[in-house]
This record gives sequence, structure tokens and C-alpha cells, in this order.
Amino acid sequence: MKSIDDFSRPEEYISPMDKYFRSAVRAWAAKDVLPHRRRFDEDWKEHALIEPAFDALMANKGLGIQKALFPADLGGWGLGQSDYAFTIACTLAEEVGRADTAMAVAFMVTYWPLTTILVEPHVNRRLAAQFAPMFCNSDKAVFAALAMTEPQGGADIENMELLGGKTIKTTARLDGDEWVINGHKLWPTNTAGVGQLFGVPCTTCVGSNDPNDFALIFVPADVKGVTQGGPYEKAGMAADKNGDLWFEDVRVPAWYRAHGPGKDAEVFKEIIPWGLVGSMGFLVGAMMNLYEVLYEFVSTRTYGNRPLKENDAIAGLIGRIAGDIEVCRILAYEGARIGDRRNRPYGHPLYSEEVLAKLRNLKDFVCDRAVENFGRAMDVLGVYGPDRQYDIEKHWRDIKIIQLWMGGKQLCQMEAARFFYNCKTL
Amino acid sequence: MHKSLDSLFLSTREKIDEEEQRIINTVRQWAEREILAKRLAYLEHYDREFAAKRRMLLMDIGLQRLALSEENGGFGWNSTTRAPSLAAVLMEIGRADAATAYLSALQFTNLLACGAKYTTPVGALISSFYSSDQPVNPALILPGPGTVDEQTPLFFGRSINVRLIHKGDEDILVGNNIRTAGCGAIADHFCVVCADSDGKPCITFVPADAQGVQRGNILKETGLNACTNADIKFNNVRISREAILKGSDAVERIYIWLNLFLGAVSIGAAMNFFEIVYDWANTRTIKGCSIMKDNPLCASVLAEVAEEIAIARFLIDDLARLISKMTVTNVQEMQHVYTMSQILGYRIQQGALRAVNRGMELMGSAGYAREWHAEKHWRDIKTIQSYLCGVGAEVPVKMDTARFFFDCKDI
Ligand SMILES: Cc1cc2nc3c(=O)[nH]c(=O)nc-3n(C[C@H](O)[C@H](O)[C@H](O)COP(=O)(O)OP(=O)(O)OC[C@H]3O[C@@H](n4cnc5c(N)ncnc54)[C@H](O)[C@@H]3O)c2cc1C
Repeated sequence: MKSIDDFSRPEEYISPMDKYFRSAVRAWAAKDVLPHRRRFDEDWKEHALIEPAFDALMANKGLGIQKALFPADLGGWGLGQSDYAFTIACTLAEEVGRADTAMAVAFMVTYWPLTTILVEPHVNRRLAAQFAPMFCNSDKAVFAALAMTEPQGGADIENMELLGGKTIKTTARLDGDEWVINGHKLWPTNTAGVGQLFGVPCTTCVGSNDPNDFALIFVPADVKGVTQGGPYEKAGMAADKNGDLWFEDVRVPAWYRAHGPGKDAEVFKEIIPWGLVGSMGFLVGAMMNLYEVLYEFVSTRTYGNRPLKENDAIAGLIGRIAGDIEVCRILAYEGARIGDRRNRPYGHPLYSEEVLAKLRNLKDFVCDRAVENFGRAMDVLGVYGPDRQYDIEKHWRDIKIIQLWMGGKQLCQMEAARFFYNCKTL
Repeated sequence: MHKSLDSLFLSTREKIDEEEQRIINTVRQWAEREILAKRLAYLEHYDREFAAKRRMLLMDIGLQRLALSEENGGFGWNSTTRAPSLAAVLMEIGRADAATAYLSALQFTNLLACGAKYTTPVGALISSFYSSDQPVNPALILPGPGTVDEQTPLFFGRSINVRLIHKGDEDILVGNNIRTAGCGAIADHFCVVCADSDGKPCITFVPADAQGVQRGNILKETGLNACTNADIKFNNVRISREAILKGSDAVERIYIWLNLFLGAVSIGAAMNFFEIVYDWANTRTIKGCSIMKDNPLCASVLAEVAEEIAIARFLIDDLARLISKMTVTNVQEMQHVYTMSQILGYRIQQGALRAVNRGMELMGSAGYAREWHAEKHWRDIKTIQSYLCGVGAEVPVKMDTARFFFDCKDI
């Protein structure tokens, strides 16, 4: 059998550490996830099965990967300083996503708000030192969340190019040397009781689109006034807990703000590319697993008393699926490389319109292919397609949200149009 | 939503009589009062509520007797001419809950495809299944994937995995790890496409409590969650003569009705999705202030949702009309209707699913949350679509089509 590693990616971009990360995570998936994942859906509320698998991946008693972004002198692995930070993120997203995209989301989102203070060129040493022990010294998985979405809408908050944060209703007021935060967020990954640290986009002036009024503030979960609601029940993504998050006169030190006026808006824009590359990695990983399951099915099950894969029409269909996985994987790594070029003379800053538009484009494309291919693959399995035992249906349910989140498909289309056609009002 | 679905989605259905309309209206009232108005509670206690509401529909309203002949104490909707009205009823049920509609669709298929003539032995047997004062759960075993280590008889390329062996005076049913299209764990009886000793496709009806019928573990499936599924083993099950339906067209007939009825179920579910997305797009704002539906890009997605459903409704009306005019005895015509039912059935399922898939794009996280019910329709329709494919995605239907239109011999 061909292996999933036969799918192409631009080898000259790949980090020298890639094979070590990949083999460690693949071994973890084989032992801690694949034997259990068919029971994850029923574990959406308790995480009794899911939590130990996270501990084995993220915490010190396992692979300890949650400390990867922190500088080495603070106990981390210094990945935030690596020229390959995006490419490795893509690898990790892919490998964990192959096992379970919801685990991949929950694990990677922990890095998400932290990228704004740990990744070059925006390292905030004081905050890094403050939060390093939380992540680097723990024998339990520690989760962080990026709490953007609000009841009135998540897409608008991510639509910084057009709206500049003017729809954000969560407020931050400076009172002496403390921020006082009030607001209501919905849906962040790693909430509903599991989050220990939140990156919270706020406004210092409701209705303003001045970048100086946008504030990204870190809020530990145990601060007075922070309340996490229970987990929402969803179509899939059981290993990712999402819920309501309320901030009522929450006070944190003034220096918990990521970087300050203007700069916060910039690093917030930089967050989006991380999410987009991560999303592509999750999808490619899931599709690689689709290939594994499909390979087995089409080799052992028949139509017209011949293996499915030996029927020309079915071969045409599954050949297209494999082709799409190949193309999507190449695109995902190209996207990662756009991220890793950010500090190079030939690259563009992450907050640039160009990077945003190109990555939104790639993510939109990969999402569409993944949604279509999982649906197709279920139909190839036919009467077995909806069966959890065959794993494809779980991925099918899980990955749909990747198309919908981060502002959804339409925002991707708008960002692309805005950049490529110089649209002024979209 | 303040507009009626009927006024939005035009139908090419031929005029249905007063009695038929009255029943359709009654089912609509049941859907609206009992399920749609209490949707959250319905979902929260789904197992219990599903059973209670279904009992109300089948027993109190009497839908279990709808497709039974009048002689069997039914409403007498057991002829091809009733195809449009039966589809309309299923659409109403599907709008409320696809799983409830799915079970009724299987029942109607059994009766219309196999037992419409209640005077035949098989018709009398099937009718007796449904003349119960308890809700009856049917299950259907269709041809599907085979395995590489076994050559099986085929129904147009699809493997028939159950064998009916003629031994002395007896007919014995044999099959291992047989996958039902839903409901395997809860079925009271099975309608089984099997192959006789000559390898010819035929149909048998097997009560679930017959000796030798064994159920496997409960399967977890994507949707239609109330139609709990399990694999079945037929361990030398004795089959009585009147439970066997022979003839080359018997299996085709099953597919014809299934395409119509399951198409109606999926359209019903998609119509309720339409209502959900209508309300959402009317109240949700984007870009800080504009109502979603007034954004041209969102409007174009909404248009696609409407288009897919509108076209699927036309297709189902056409299919129903085709079936209602089918003369049951003409083999040539049966082949034609079979092929058309496969083409239209496939397109209808694709359209319904596409409508939901695209509409979900506009709903962001709400579309993905159980609370909003949108995702349930998405899972239910997908499950129906995959069941209907059987194996190999659309390829078997494409082969049926090419075979009919181009006289292909070896596909
Ligand atoms: C499993 C999961 C994980 C999540 N993780 C996080 C997280 O970590 N952090 C977080 O903050 N949120 C998270 N979310 C929320 C998610 O990112 C938002 O739901 C998403 O951004 C869309 O926001 P919304 O649901 O409020 O929909 P809305 O903002 O109301 O948008 C709905 C739809 O409107 C359309 N639309 C929006 N803007 C435009 C435009 N300018 N032009 C045209 N059409 C437009 C799009 O179709 C969009 O999908 C998560 C959600 C889920 C289900």
C-alpha cells in the first residue's frame, strides 16, 4: 500500500525538525487517539476519554508540546523564534488532524493567542515570562483560547480590513494600572470550563474603527468576574469545547495588554494567518486519513464482483479525491511558507492585505475540496458511509465547521476580491 | 417565517382530491404543533419524544393504515395513482423529522412495491404486518458492496449478499453481516433483496422474530438517529412461500418507490432548513449593520438554497407523475421508469443536500450547533443519500443510465 507520506509537499520548505515532530505525534495518535476516537462523540461533555489523550500530547508527562512556542530560556522549545514556525504548525495540525480534527483545533488554538506575544518579531518578554510556567511546568494539558466571536457576529470582528473592530462590544477601560473588562463572547475553542488563559479582543471606545482603540488583553480564567458557561452540543468536533464566556468587571494588570495602541490591531490581524494555515493543516490531515480508510474499502469491497478501485468509473472518482488531497497538501504548505517568509526581504508582513487575501483564498479552496471529498467518500462507502466504524463520517461532520469558522466562506471571497480587484467597499 | 412554503415553492403536482388534501393538512398540523413548535424540547428528549410523536402520527392520525387497502382496513392509498399524495405526505413529515418520515417511506415502499395487490399472498402477508395497533418498524436490505473474497449474484452490478436457498420443499434464507439501510436494530420485519438458487434477484419478507434472525451490535450512524441500525445475520431462516416475491422487476420496483419516497423525505427536511435559514437571514446583520439577506453575496447563496429546493420539488412532482401513470405489467416501461427514478432520485438527494450545505455557510456556528436544528437536517439528508447510493457513490446510477440510454452491455 502506498502511504499517506506519498502525498507531495514542497520538500525544500520542510523544517529539519519535521520528521521528529511527525513521528512523535503519529505514535501518539496511534496509541492515544485512534483506538478511542469512535467514542469521542459521546464524550463531548465530560472529556473523560479525551482529556488523557490531550495530557499525553500536550503536558510534560507526555510529549510536552504545549510549551513549544515559549523561548528556550523560559522553559519552552523556542519555536516562536524559528524560521519554520508556520511550517511546523502545519505539520502538527496535519498529524493531529489526521487523528481527530477537534483535538487538533483545541491543541493548536492554545498557541493561537500566544503567537501574538511569543513569535518573532513581536515577542513580549514580560508576558512570555508571566505565562511560561503555566504551560511549561504542567503535567496536565493547559488550554488557552482566543475569544473573538460575540453574540452579534464573529465574521465582522475578523473583518478588520473593512470594519477595524468597530462592532466589538467587549470593552476595556483603563483604571489606574488595571484594565477593567466587560463583555460576552461566544464559541471560543477551549472554553466551557477548560480554558485557563484567554486572549480577548476588546475595544477601548465602542463603535470606533481607530486601530488605537483596539486592545488585545490576556485574561487568566481564574480572575474574579470571568465566567465560563457549559459546552455547546454540536454536529461534531467533540474534543473541542465551546461555550459562553462572560467578563464582568474583570480586572487584570495594564501590562496584560499584548502590545499597546495600534500594535494590538496589527498583531490581531496577524492571528488570522495562523488560523488559516492551521485550518488547512487540519483539513489535509483529515483527508490523509480519508485516503487510508478509502484505500482499504475500495480494495476489499466490490461492485460488479470486482474491487471498487478496479472499476474505471469508480477509479475516476477516487483518483480525483487522491488528486485533490495532493493539491491541497501542496497548497497548505505553500500557505505555511507565506507565513514563514514574513520577516524576509522577499516576504510580506503577516498583517498585510496580500498575505491575508492569499491565505483566505487558499483556505477557502482547501475547505471546499475537503467538504466535497468527504461527502463523496461517504457515498463511495454507500450504506457503510454513515457508519462511525468507518471514520469518514466523523471527519465529515467535524470538518464542515472549518469551512464556516473564522468568518466563513464569504469573508474569504470578499478578502480575495478586495485585494485582487482593489474593491473599495466590500 | 411568515410566508407559506406552498406559496413559495410552486408544484407541478396534478390536482389532488379533497380527501388527500385533508390528510396532507392533518399531517402538516401534526408537524407544526407537535414538533416544529416545540423543537428544542423535541431534540432534548429525542428518543422519548420521537416514539410519542410517531405513535400519534401512526396510530391517532392513522398513517400506518394510509397505504393499506380498504379491504385490509386501510385508507386505500395503495395504488400508483396515489404516488403524488404519498410523496406530499412524506414531505410534510420530513419537514418535522426525517427519521419519522424515513420509517413511513420504508413502509410505503414495502406496500406499494410489493404488496399493493393485497389479494396476492405476498400482499396479504405484508398488509398483515401493518394491520397492527402498534407502530411497526420496517427495515430494508438492498444490494450493495460485495467483498473481494466472494462472488455474489448481482443486481445491475450491486452485490446481492443474501441467498434464498431452495432445499427440498423449503426455502432458507442465508446471509452474514448484512447491512440494512437503517433500522436494523429496531425492525419488526425486514424486506430483503436476495438471490434465489438460480442467482436471480427476488424479495423476501422476514419477521424479525423468525428463528435464525440475529442482530449485531447497535451501530452509531451520522443521522436518522431514531432509526437505530445494526447488522443482521440470517442463519438458515425458513421462509414461507407467500413471503417471496419473484420476477425480474420486483427489485426495480423497490428502487422506483424508494427514489420517490426518500426524495420526498429529504425535500421535506430541506424545506424546514429553508425556514430556518430564512429567519436567520432576515434578522442577522453583517458588516456591522446590513441585514444579511440584503448583502448581494449572501443573497446569491440564499438564491442557491431556494433554487435547489425548487428544482428538487419539480423533479419529485415529475417522478410522482411518471410513477402514477406507470402500467404495472409492462416490463419495458418499468425499465424506463426505473432508470428515470434513479436519475431523478439521485438529483433530488444532491439538490437537497446542496441546499443545506450552502445555507449552513451563512449560519456560521449557529448552523453547526444542535440547538438550531439545521445540522440535524444536514446529517439526516446525508444519511439518506449515502444509503441510496448503496456503493460506489453515483456510479451504479450512472451505469443504469448509460445501460438504458446507450445499450451498454458490459458495464
Ligand atoms: C468548533 C468551533 C470552534 C470555534 N472556535 C472559535 C475560536 O477559537 N474563537 C472565536 O472567537 N470563535 C470561534 N468560533 C466561532 C466562529 O469563528 C464564528 O462562528 C465564525 O467566525 C462566524 O461567526 P458567526 O457564527 O457569529 O456568524 P456571523 O458573523 O453572523 O456570519 C455568518 C455568515 O455571514 C456571512 N458573512 C459575514 N461577513 C460577511 C461579509 N463581509 N460579506 C459577505 N458575507 C459575510 C458569512 O457567510 C458568514 O458565515 C468557533 C466556532 C466553532 C463551531
